[in-house]
Amino acid sequence: MTGTATRGTPRRSPDRDRRLPGDIDMWVMVLGDLFFFGCYFVTYMVFRALSVEEFSAAQRHLNIGIGVTNTVILLTSSVFAALGVIAVREGALKKAERLLLATGACGVLFTLLKVHEWHSEITQGYTIQDEFFSFYYVLTGVHLAHLVLGLLILGIAVRELRDPRGRRPGIIEQSVLFWHMIDLLWVVIFAILYLMR
Amino acid sequence: MTTPATTDKALLEKDRRAFLLVWIALSAATVLAWLLAPGEPESSADLGWGPAAAIVLLGLVKCRLIIRYFMEVRHAPRWLQTATDAWLAVLWITLLGIYLFWPGSQ
Repeated sequence: MTGTATRGTPRRSPDRDRRLPGDIDMWVMVLGDLFFFGCYFVTYMVFRALSVEEFSAAQRHLNIGIGVTNTVILLTSSVFAALGVIAVREGALKKAERLLLATGACGVLFTLLKVHEWHSEITQGYTIQDEFFSFYYVLTGVHLAHLVLGLLILGIAVRELRDPRGRRPGIIEQSVLFWHMIDLLWVVIFAILYLMR
Repeated sequence: MTTPATTDKALLEKDRRAFLLVWIALSAATVLAWLLAPGEPESSADLGWGPAAAIVLLGLVKCRLIIRYFMEVRHAPRWLQTATDAWLAVLWITLLGIYLFWPGSQ
């Protein structure tokens, strides 16, 4: 590729032809998840609007520093995962494996911080008896369940990379796609629970 | 492992740089949104419409960057680009609309 050839008229190599990352089955799952989470986000916002004083007061008890830290951790995990896919395409399988393991490590760190946050809130008496915290625990809990599933799927991807008979790029793409969805959903959860108060 | 015959090192390097830039932008947007939110528990200030709109805009941009770059939807078929953009627009506009305009919500 030459620099001059790409100026003005971006070159479309075969690699840049439109293609579905991962496969259609994973996209059906991702789009379905996005739809149902979206409905839940809107439901939360309606309930918040109906009891705005109570929700706003409860939201101020969240530790926004942990929320920001967890957001950056998940964003970092996502860039590791995206770089892992590039490494697979380059054929650098060991590097890809390390990047996917780093992605998983970020996921474990997120989980530990989230459990610490829950523990701290519960010991302060913020339980599901409060309407805001009932939404909070369900939203973050369902999200964390997805994250744990994501860790399992990442484990399958790492196993695929280690197996000389396997190593299908499509499997890695699908695994990483699911992981990005977890990051994507957290960005919305962080905004509506921690910031819009 | 058979890498796709179409793999192009220069394009992959370009993608790598783009991912790193997107990661920096996403992290910066997260910190910026944090600065826009009211302070600690003793603060009783609500978000005004300006900071609320800014937080929603930052959230929307972050989500779109994740979808377009990390999830590689920028190279995906148009139906997927349209579907994800529609989800983003409907979700964030609805959330902001309820936050700002629901009777008694502000």
